[in-house]
Amino acid sequence: MSGDKPVEGESRRGFITKLTGWVLGIGFVAGSWPFIRSLFPNVLYEPPRRFKIGTPDAFQEGVHFLQDHRMFLFRDGSSFHAISGVCTHLGCTVKYSPFKQDQELTVRKLTYESAGEFHCACHGSRFRDEGTNFSGPAPRPLNWYQLELSPEDGQLVVNMSEEVDRDFRLVV
Amino acid sequence: MSLLPKQGALGRLFWSWRPQSDREAGEAVVANFLLHWFPSRVTLKSLSLKYSIYLGTISLVLFCILTVSGVFLMFLYVPSVERAYWWIKDLDYAVSFGWYLRRVHRIGAHLMVAAVFLHMFRVFLTGAYKRGSAAGSNRPFNWVLGVLLLVLTLFLSFTGYLLPWDQLAFWAITVGTNIAASVPWIGDEIRQFLLGGNEVGQNTLIRFYVLHVFFLPLVLTAIAIWHMWRIRKDGGLAIVEQLRIRNRERAPEAPAKTKTWSVLGIASGTSVTVLDPGTVHETDSVPSSPFLTTRLLAVTVATLVVVMLLALVVPAPLEEAANPEVTPNPAKAPWYFLGLQELVGYSALVGGVLIPGIVLLGLALIPYLDREQAGIGLWLTDKSGRRWAVIGTVWGLLWTVGSLAIGIKFPMREAFPSIESQLFFDMVSPATLLLLSFVVLYFVSLKVTSSSRTAAIATFCAFIVAFVLLTWTGTMLRGPNWQFFWPWEAWPRQPIPF
Repeated sequence: MSGDKPVEGESRRGFITKLTGWVLGIGFVAGSWPFIRSLFPNVLYEPPRRFKIGTPDAFQEGVHFLQDHRMFLFRDGSSFHAISGVCTHLGCTVKYSPFKQDQELTVRKLTYESAGEFHCACHGSRFRDEGTNFSGPAPRPLNWYQLELSPEDGQLVVNMSEEVDRDFRLVV
Repeated sequence: MSLLPKQGALGRLFWSWRPQSDREAGEAVVANFLLHWFPSRVTLKSLSLKYSIYLGTISLVLFCILTVSGVFLMFLYVPSVERAYWWIKDLDYAVSFGWYLRRVHRIGAHLMVAAVFLHMFRVFLTGAYKRGSAAGSNRPFNWVLGVLLLVLTLFLSFTGYLLPWDQLAFWAITVGTNIAASVPWIGDEIRQFLLGGNEVGQNTLIRFYVLHVFFLPLVLTAIAIWHMWRIRKDGGLAIVEQLRIRNRERAPEAPAKTKTWSVLGIASGTSVTVLDPGTVHETDSVPSSPFLTTRLLAVTVATLVVVMLLALVVPAPLEEAANPEVTPNPAKAPWYFLGLQELVGYSALVGGVLIPGIVLLGLALIPYLDREQAGIGLWLTDKSGRRWAVIGTVWGLLWTVGSLAIGIKFPMREAFPSIESQLFFDMVSPATLLLLSFVVLYFVSLKVTSSSRTAAIATFCAFIVAFVLLTWTGTMLRGPNWQFFWPWEAWPRQPIPF
């Protein structure tokens, strides 16, 4: 520290201290980054999100639970739609429970004949058979998945990464 | 009278010299490798069973039991989704005493969660989180370390829950991690990070395994050591404060000692602590060895015996192998999360995120909100504390039962069928009502008594009641489809899915 300019000397020491701190700090963060990043997987060995489920005539009228994919396929004459079986509350699998008799329901200002509803075992959420949550803690309607027909072999293709709205129908 | 044992060949391994009197034995604690972390003398009051119930010791002993039994289990288990379940099956049916190891580990884990909770209740109710007057004391910080230890204990138990890879494990973790997903904005990312993917799978199993057997025990051990070191630095258990107060009122005595013990041996000269008139008087205390050590030994043996006996009668259940396609009905989280699951049944956001967040933050902040120094180490502090403990308990009882009744009798969505806003149902729910009743209780008791300690006692007692009641409801009174059943009502029979 020079005698006549003590302030300059102090600030130099201060600067070097700060610099050391910053270099160590940034170095630590940069050094940890590879370790942290490695915990976010780039490749997942999970079942595909888009898959074939068979030709349309393999499914009869009504509701089918595709257990492997945790989803429900609905057939109404020549129109098909697919609803997720994963409860929007905490991810349990919902169960379809048919009514003893069809009921006339008005959901989203549309009146239709409903054949049953979905119940969730974990916290008792209930959904209409078109997915709308009406009881229990579920915050959202069940997801609807996009359905396509495969141009190669005419099988139904479910695309779970594409959500569609509740008016979607695939007519074959 | 000498309480010292004769020194045998084994004794020479641990003692560098043989104490000739009780006094010397007490001092010798410092010179002993195994005992050096105890004070050389300990007050009679802090040895009292009525004061501490030795719950901290019991928690530590349980942790040791879990570590030892866990190491054995590690030899007999592989964290792979194809194999894990079958290793557990082998433990139960093929490995000699495998069933016993599992039961010891499981019952030990449940007891540890319970012991840690009870330990926290005890520390709160005796006001042992208060700073006191010893030099260098910082009990509030030690309380925060304790809250951290509680969280680590819960997380350890939760990660262990997945490892058997049966239906119980799989769905408890699915529900538990989905609670984390209800955090606004980053919930999905948190869940994906915990699971290592979009669903509970191999990535999740190996993550939970490594956390369970290595990372969390390591962190817990480090913080537990810190926690116990702080007890010494804070001047011992909080009840000692009462002795310090009494000593300070006494006439000053002969000049202070001229030497003091440090961890490394005898330090020459005096220290601040020695000159402090609040230093514990020798007539109030006894040598740690054997008075403290024998008690600790007795508590250790008692804990061991209880765990071993319970392991003989309480089975460790194992359901069918994990099947992502079939949700058991009802699907329940581990018991200590069932109070939370009950609240999550009303609203995932309020019950799963807001309330646990506020509770944890509130717990950690208790010693900073309540800085009153009167009655440290006394159960419920004083007469007003006892009265408000009763008021808080009754208040908690009424509001918890009330909120439960509203949740069961008047589901919000059925009461307001025309409203579609999710935020409305999150905010207007029995969970919010319960939270508000606690806030009201805190401020009313604070206003009436103008004592932060009394307000804390009232709120904490209400919290204990709510915690116990909600846990009980979630555990015992919730059946298939999470419907409410009284204990004497039979659950409807469920079709078994294939």
